[in-house]
Amino acid sequence: MATTVEPQGPARPNIPAAGLQLPAVRDYEQVDREIGATLNPTKAWFGGLALAILGLLVGVTAFTYQLHEGLGVAGYEPPVMWAVYIITFVFWIGIGHAGTLISAILYLFRAGFRTTIYRLSEAMTVFAVMTAGLFPILHTGRPWKAFWLLPYPNWRLLWPNFKSPLVWDVFAISTYLTVSVTFLYMGLIPDIAALRDKEKNPVRRQILAVLSMGWRNSEREWRHFSRMYLFLAAFSTPLVLSVHSVVSFDFAMALVPGWHTTIFAPYFVAGAIFSGFAMVWTIAIPLRKWFKLEHYITLNHLDASAKVVLLTSLIVGSAYLIEFFIAWYGGVPAEQDYFWNRVFGQWWWAAWIMLTCNMILPLSLFSQQLRRNTTWLFILSLFINLGMWFERFVIVVPSLSHEFEPWQWAAYTPTWVDLGILLGSFGWFFMWFLLFIKQFPVVAISEVKEIVPPRMRSAGAGGGHH
Amino acid sequence: MRGLVAHFRELDALCEAIEDLRKERFDKVTVYTPTPRHEIEHAVAAPRSGVRRYTLIGALCGATFGYWVAIWTSEYWPLVLGGKAFGSWIPYTIIAFEMMVLVGALSTVAGMFINSRIPRLVATVGYHPRFSGSDYGIWVEDAPERLSAAEALLRRHGASEVHGEQ
Repeated sequence: MATTVEPQGPARPNIPAAGLQLPAVRDYEQVDREIGATLNPTKAWFGGLALAILGLLVGVTAFTYQLHEGLGVAGYEPPVMWAVYIITFVFWIGIGHAGTLISAILYLFRAGFRTTIYRLSEAMTVFAVMTAGLFPILHTGRPWKAFWLLPYPNWRLLWPNFKSPLVWDVFAISTYLTVSVTFLYMGLIPDIAALRDKEKNPVRRQILAVLSMGWRNSEREWRHFSRMYLFLAAFSTPLVLSVHSVVSFDFAMALVPGWHTTIFAPYFVAGAIFSGFAMVWTIAIPLRKWFKLEHYITLNHLDASAKVVLLTSLIVGSAYLIEFFIAWYGGVPAEQDYFWNRVFGQWWWAAWIMLTCNMILPLSLFSQQLRRNTTWLFILSLFINLGMWFERFVIVVPSLSHEFEPWQWAAYTPTWVDLGILLGSFGWFFMWFLLFIKQFPVVAISEVKEIVPPRMRSAGAGGGHH
Repeated sequence: MRGLVAHFRELDALCEAIEDLRKERFDKVTVYTPTPRHEIEHAVAAPRSGVRRYTLIGALCGATFGYWVAIWTSEYWPLVLGGKAFGSWIPYTIIAFEMMVLVGALSTVAGMFINSRIPRLVATVGYHPRFSGSDYGIWVEDAPERLSAAEALLRRHGASEVHGEQ
């Protein structure tokens, strides 16, 4: 007889901290049953999908009109030649960052609260980056020439300028999208195999068999899979930091007041994680209620994520204050005038929306009672989403409209075209997300099973609750 | 009969059966588990995964390609700017970094596929759908005269079900 086997922690290094266990989840069968049930479509889901497609159609209509008439119909007039499209591009890239933070960085840091929210965050990342990637193309004026940004041998004998931040963007975002899709899909393979093994419909079973690539849960597969997952997380961690840094270089490389600053890279990364977590709340809080997943995505998980939001809010708030300080301390009149104009002049309303939503309201998260109040977290998430969109507005529009020469100063008003495309981007994002959650488990089955105590024969081995 | 499939409900029973199978020198043993567990990894005493080699080679190739494509195209299509060098390695580090991550990540996935022998588009002998749900499983392949000893061993360790497969 072999020696008694003592239970050990999960094989993947995401050992939950105390208080992040799932006491109401007793065994593997319950996990399969409850998470599998989220795949059944409901009337609310169909309603949400119809609304998302409607929003997308508004965006498509506005874009078609813009293609016909030119970029002028989107409110672009010198000197403000960047506005809603670039703002929304940075906004969606930022949303994507929380997904990678949760799935990769928190994985490396063994933060247990990621386990039940990482799948939906990762899906959110992929769809947010898919949405963001559309905006530079929409903004090119001649989007059918967008492929010129890629380096490939061509009859023009031309190559892109690798010293340009726009080309860095192309490399950073296409790498980010590819690695995020790979990370999401690889994590899904064991879950798709579990769905395949329970599927009764032969056609659907066949599709799932192909998608799962013949995965069969052998120890050999898991061993290589765990190693691969660790390395993908290790790659994604610096990648996520680099992507928003590169996006910030779009601004920081230019000699424009308010843009030309070395603080932009860390400031953008912190803001991205801050806004991304808010979007995770916007999605996860209704989902856990509709799908009856309150005992998976628990208040402890939301509480832990609220602490991350509070921390990133404090970093972002400090960055705002440092910007003002440097403008004053640097002594450059154009810079000082710009910052005064930003907060007390022409754009005061946008700046105060930003400061209120991103700096002041998140301070409420110092209260544990509010960190565990899902209604407040949901409302706060909407304010943060709004505030972070306005943060990018405040960076882009006031700078361009108030550069060095007073005779150049101008105003900017968005039109129905760029606002329609903004609405369309939300429709596009939510359409993909809603389609995803009915095809694949929104909570990772195999990872949740890792934190459910395994069934043990010998009571002394300290097994599960069977 | 080609081999035996055993279902286990308890993790400790499974690990003890694996250790005894190794002691009895049953070499062709495949263990199935719905989720990765260190206990099983220790019982199987498998070697370290070789995926890391693919990661390293892929990352180095990606970074090299990133620098090369930027420097070569700068020399091929020079942008003459006040005596500045055509090839400028500092901004090109961004391209090299992104390519390192991209090729490194994709080659890591390729390494996992090669080492795990997937994609596998034919049904596997000795696999049962319950192994992705709640059961642990062992597939033992050996000569027919040794399989009865394996069956006795598996049953002794508490296999909830043991059956042969062709």
